[in-house]
Amino acid sequence: MKNDIPSSTRMDRDALIAALTEDLTPVKRVKPANGAILIGFATIVAAIVSIAIFEFWTGMVSGEASGFFWITNGLLMVLGAASTSALVASALPRVGTRANAPFWSAAMLAVMPVAALLTMFSIEATHDHSVSAFADPALLYFECALYGTGAGLLVATAAVMFLRQGAPVSIERASWLTGLAAGSLGSLAYGITCPLDTISHVGIVHVLPVAVSAVAARFVVPPLIRW
Amino acid sequence: MVADEPTFARLMVAAQDGDKAATNVLLSEVGVWLERYFKRRVPPHSIDDLVQDVLIAFYTKRATWDPSRAFLPWLAAIARYRWVDHLRKVYKHDAKELFEDDAVEDSEEEVVLARVSLDRLFGQLPDKQAEAIQLVKIGGLSIREAAEKTGQSESLVKVNIHRGLKKLAAMVEKAD
Repeated sequence: MKNDIPSSTRMDRDALIAALTEDLTPVKRVKPANGAILIGFATIVAAIVSIAIFEFWTGMVSGEASGFFWITNGLLMVLGAASTSALVASALPRVGTRANAPFWSAAMLAVMPVAALLTMFSIEATHDHSVSAFADPALLYFECALYGTGAGLLVATAAVMFLRQGAPVSIERASWLTGLAAGSLGSLAYGITCPLDTISHVGIVHVLPVAVSAVAARFVVPPLIRW
Repeated sequence: MVADEPTFARLMVAAQDGDKAATNVLLSEVGVWLERYFKRRVPPHSIDDLVQDVLIAFYTKRATWDPSRAFLPWLAAIARYRWVDHLRKVYKHDAKELFEDDAVEDSEEEVVLARVSLDRLFGQLPDKQAEAIQLVKIGGLSIREAAEKTGQSESLVKVNIHRGLKKLAAMVEKAD
């Protein structure tokens, strides 16, 4: 095989190999578990910062929190775990089947805003405007989506740092996963400080950061992780 | 004779630990393996550039191989990534030229796409896009000649080449 190559080309390659070998140093292997720890740590920091700014919502431990609160945050946690797991695995080059659990998890979470909207329109259809879901003041607190997305920036930073250490071979997929992980874990981190637990609030406002982060990451992350 | 999976894996463990002699052998063997890999994918005169490009990527990203996993699929994933990157560069160069300059010149990079093993991929393109790419990029016709031959306007030929090349790059990237 080597004899098929022109001698000038062979010399170029030999010179390259000699130069690379000369500079060789031992390397510390990139491990997906370290990426998961880094993202988990960023999530905890985001939660601590959220608590420092907005204070912990004691309704979580006093039994005051509604079922919608637990279901939404539970789904955010599942999506965060699934996307983080797929993201750290995507940092190592490989071929073959890819896990699509994060995208099914995102589909499950998408049930929440759909359910919220259906509930709101159903109540509206009764013409009992005294209980109009559109009049729910909690629905107007869209600042929560902003805070959740902001908390997700910490998670996204950790994810990008890890992906840059690795060698993702599917840049677009790694970018979507970064957005899903950042949006879900950021919203979860902020969510433990938010006392608004109606379906219209948690089902829409607290899920919005996931969609916003995923789309933003799809366009912002690729140049940061391309190698 | 190309090294086998266990030999590659053993050499790679040594390379990750900083063994220069093992790394020298490994890089040479990886180079031979890559030549075979690219032989079916790019024209002969482009092979060595890609091999050297992948050797540098391989070296830079050597920490991302996990010894508990097979070596060759890892190497193939890196080779494929660099190949797709190469296609994208060709595509960008090609698209720019198509829309800025009517003259079609056969630069070395431009013919890469044309000579890549495209038969299977062409089957997935709309007929008009495949025909435009085949006439201009493989047959060497000018845009005007291709337009006359196909009965399409010159603009349509350009658009079909542009869209077809974009689809091809996307198909190669998505294929596992």
